[in-house]
Amino acid sequence: MAVAQEKRLINARWGRPECLVRGLRLGHVALYTFLVVLAFFYLYPLLWMAVSSFKTGPDIASRPLSFNVSDATLDSYRRLLQNVPLHIGFKNTFVVLIFKGALTMFFCPLAGFAFAKFRFRGRDALFVFVLATMMLPPVVMLIPLLLLMGRLGWVNTYQALILPGAVNAFSIFWMRQQIAEVPDELLDAGRVDGCSAWGLHWRIVLPVIRPALAALAILTFLDIYNDFVWPVVAVNTIRMQTLQVMLSDLYNQINNMQVGAIGTNAWGQVLAASTIATFPVLILFLILQRHFIYGILAGSLKG
Amino acid sequence: MSSYSPRQRVFALRHWVGGSFAPYVFIAPFFVFFLAFGLFPLLYALRLSFTDWRGVGVPRFVGFANYTFLLTDRLFWESVQNSLYLWFFIVPVQTLFAVLVASLLSRPLLRFRWFFRTSYLVSYLVPLVAIAQVWKVLFDQDFGAVNYVLQTLGLPAVGWLTTSTWAKPTLALLVFWKSSGFAILIMLAAIQGIPRELYEAAALDGANERKQFFLITLPLMRRAIAFYVVIATLAVVQMFAEPYVLTQGGPYRSTTTAGYALFRYMKHLELGLGAANSFLLTILVVALSLLMLRLLRVREEA
Repeated sequence: MAVAQEKRLINARWGRPECLVRGLRLGHVALYTFLVVLAFFYLYPLLWMAVSSFKTGPDIASRPLSFNVSDATLDSYRRLLQNVPLHIGFKNTFVVLIFKGALTMFFCPLAGFAFAKFRFRGRDALFVFVLATMMLPPVVMLIPLLLLMGRLGWVNTYQALILPGAVNAFSIFWMRQQIAEVPDELLDAGRVDGCSAWGLHWRIVLPVIRPALAALAILTFLDIYNDFVWPVVAVNTIRMQTLQVMLSDLYNQINNMQVGAIGTNAWGQVLAASTIATFPVLILFLILQRHFIYGILAGSLKG
Repeated sequence: MSSYSPRQRVFALRHWVGGSFAPYVFIAPFFVFFLAFGLFPLLYALRLSFTDWRGVGVPRFVGFANYTFLLTDRLFWESVQNSLYLWFFIVPVQTLFAVLVASLLSRPLLRFRWFFRTSYLVSYLVPLVAIAQVWKVLFDQDFGAVNYVLQTLGLPAVGWLTTSTWAKPTLALLVFWKSSGFAILIMLAAIQGIPRELYEAAALDGANERKQFFLITLPLMRRAIAFYVVIATLAVVQMFAEPYVLTQGGPYRSTTTAGYALFRYMKHLELGLGAANSFLLTILVVALSLLMLRLLRVREEA
């Protein structure tokens, strides 16, 4: 009986067995072909970028699709490092990552804890207010923020890169959701042991939500590392450019250092720089894939 | 009556707010940051949007002149039009595509699922500027790899980034490459949330795979689809970085999106106008979100 039912189920989903031979095989071939072509579409530009970065600019232009391993050269990388102070970009991005990341990772779980586990007057109204600020379109804030930075004399400073958006509504919202899942009994036990509000947060909540914290850290890292719009507005000297801003400005810099190296001559260097900038993210992704997917899905709640 | 000591008053206040001041201290940083980097600049910019100011000197009050100028300005409407055009290219296509791919990826017995899912998602992590630079090289009119392939096949070269006809589709393709993996991930999560028993029940009732897709998968994904359409729409209207790196808004302003138009005012230091444009864009974005949410609700009732 159960077997017959099982069989009917399988048949309904996959067609009758005799169809399996003809119709479905063909269907399978089409399915896998489609999925492989799609994978190619996503991966090929990256592969091409990495491979071409080991060719010279004119070589990329004249024979874009062929690659001889024996012709591989680090020439593009050498010239890039001569012409463009990429280490400054890395340093600035690193500084912003550390400080902005620390602010986000410290204050957002704390506020999330307050909203999730305390009863206090005005809590719900304040939380709705926090959510409402998420509706503000980031691009719209550019000019107002730039004006503020101008008034404060903060254009071309780390403060300008670090502070706006450091304690953001989305992270608080998400941390609140996560901390709400922490069992109240744990917190009560902590209270009995005489923990202060801060003690409860530090000793109980944070250790319990560690996976969510890891996801938040990854999301924050991606946001800051890939951030481009605000840094390109807030900074106008090479000294303060983040990696992404520097990457967008490559042709100018290469041309300044090496006159005539516009267009195809600079291509090798441009692709080398793009490869270098992509590398850290991809490595991290491959190591921490599970957390990444968790984090990105969490991030999808944004907006 | 007023003979309470300060200590007693603090005690009473603490009792009134709920027993502890700690939660207020915990949420205070957000409000401090929001006042400093959200509300204050917004109000300042709002005031500025009613003035003529080019970065130096004293702002001159001009009433609604900036707004009326923009609303009758050909360039402003052109940028809105460009955004709508791009929306059409990007959002419907990408959403349908993501639903299709996600449903293929969640078929039972699919092999190499991990590989496919990972390879589709990688593009989402790549820094936008890096891939935009690659796009610029790949789609170069004279020496790009794409035209190289076309010419090898005996087809004419196309000015992908240099003609106003092709610049928008090329830009849309970049956005598609960059963000469709993310769309697929959202749709996958939505499909995984559908209880398996529904499919089993449908199979017992004799529904084939296509029927199951249209009668179970698609209806139950409606929320995820609507959600994605909303965030993708907001992203397209605000799009700034992509045209900035790829085309600088050109050729002939064909890729000057609503978001990029703001940057143009910033560059020319027309800050009063730029501020006014910011607020018009805010109205557009909020109106679009409300419209989308409205559509979502209507569909849910139906």
